[in-house]
Amino acid sequence: MGRQYLKVNSIEELLTNLGKPGGMILCGGTDLVVKMRSGLLSPELLLDISDLPELREIRKTGAQIEIGAAVTQSELLASEIVREHLPLLITVLSQLGCVQIRNSGTLGGNLVNASPAADSAVPLLLLDAEVILTGSQGERRIAVKDFFRGPGKTALSKGEFLRAVSIPLPNPELSPFFHKIGRRKALTIAIASLGALLHVEGDLIQEVRLAAGSVAPTPIRLRRVEERANGKRVTASLIEEARKLALQSVSPIDDIRASADYRRTVIADLVAHLFEGVLHV
Amino acid sequence: MRIQFIVNGRQVERETNAETRLLDLLREDLHLTGTKEGCGEGECGACTVLLNGRAVNSCLVLAPQVDGKKVLTIEGLAPLSKSHSRHSTGRAKGDELHPIQRAFVEKGAVQCGFCTPGFIMSTYALLRKNPSPNDEEILSALEGNLCRCTGYTKIIEAVRYAAKLMREER
Repeated sequence: MGRQYLKVNSIEELLTNLGKPGGMILCGGTDLVVKMRSGLLSPELLLDISDLPELREIRKTGAQIEIGAAVTQSELLASEIVREHLPLLITVLSQLGCVQIRNSGTLGGNLVNASPAADSAVPLLLLDAEVILTGSQGERRIAVKDFFRGPGKTALSKGEFLRAVSIPLPNPELSPFFHKIGRRKALTIAIASLGALLHVEGDLIQEVRLAAGSVAPTPIRLRRVEERANGKRVTASLIEEARKLALQSVSPIDDIRASADYRRTVIADLVAHLFEGVLHV
Repeated sequence: MRIQFIVNGRQVERETNAETRLLDLLREDLHLTGTKEGCGEGECGACTVLLNGRAVNSCLVLAPQVDGKKVLTIEGLAPLSKSHSRHSTGRAKGDELHPIQRAFVEKGAVQCGFCTPGFIMSTYALLRKNPSPNDEEILSALEGNLCRCTGYTKIIEAVRYAAKLMREER
């Protein structure tokens, strides 16, 4: 028989089939097709949700923006709503993969893949976003920070799927920052990445949020650095403390792309660099 | 399973399955071998085609996913040139070339040629949306395509020249 393929036409049809043995969701295919070909994954039934209308909407409702799981990265970059309200997401997604990957790859796919290096996780952590998970029992919302459970592991239960991401409208005074370290600009899987939302007046940090990718089993917020820096003036000693706290906050591994030591050093440098930038405006 | 889709302006119907990629369908079934397989994992762009008008890596698209959609490959490009009439087969005849292809030839942007169809399809996707791209926009549009021969300088020159040719033809 071989692998089966089903183009899913409704949420009900998806839920009915998702519980079947070997059932797996296919969307942009940028990770899944590679993993199937290398033998890493061998689903028996592919449930293609890439054209499911309910999962392809970007909506602003009150103080939230809801993005359907099957919206592609290119569609997000072109969205007026996202461009107006979520400049951080634009900054990050414009550096993800390349045109071809962004035309296929989706926000939901990048999240459920649960790579410690998932670029889109960094802005969603910074924006205190939630994921909306749908199962036959109904829907639940959980914070993005609780969605990731480890490399490749998420809070999704059997038979459940990620329907949308819900992002509270951020304070427009927060400026976006994202720096990804890799071998080349395009198509790089981050060796380490730092994202931030920063509101400063002169050298006074009104608010800072920091998140890092590829330096722990999941993308993480650097809460201890945030707590130390919020409401403080940027000084040489603050920068040094922030650097040390960043070093202590991460738990990277050695892998094919870089050593753990290099990752620790580079994330601490990026944090220091961000605060030094405040002094040089 | 049976799928129907439009390739290079021509409606086709094929029997396929979930193990087959769009790349395999194009090359093995439809004998459109202009689309190349480089890395097979979305890193090199040699297999770039347009799917419903957007550049994608055909090695990452499963054949059943193109049911009801439109695919454009390098073979379908020349008939789209304004200066030539369309051919019913969806293929170019003889030495007719699309202005982008002409630009790549004239500017020496082709060496071994393996990456060229992918680069040309990425260029086409760029120029149909943005007829006068600046250098940064050109680099960004081509960042998913690798060339191991040219060093890219001639390719960037060719894209600038193709944009000029296409503006003149309109």
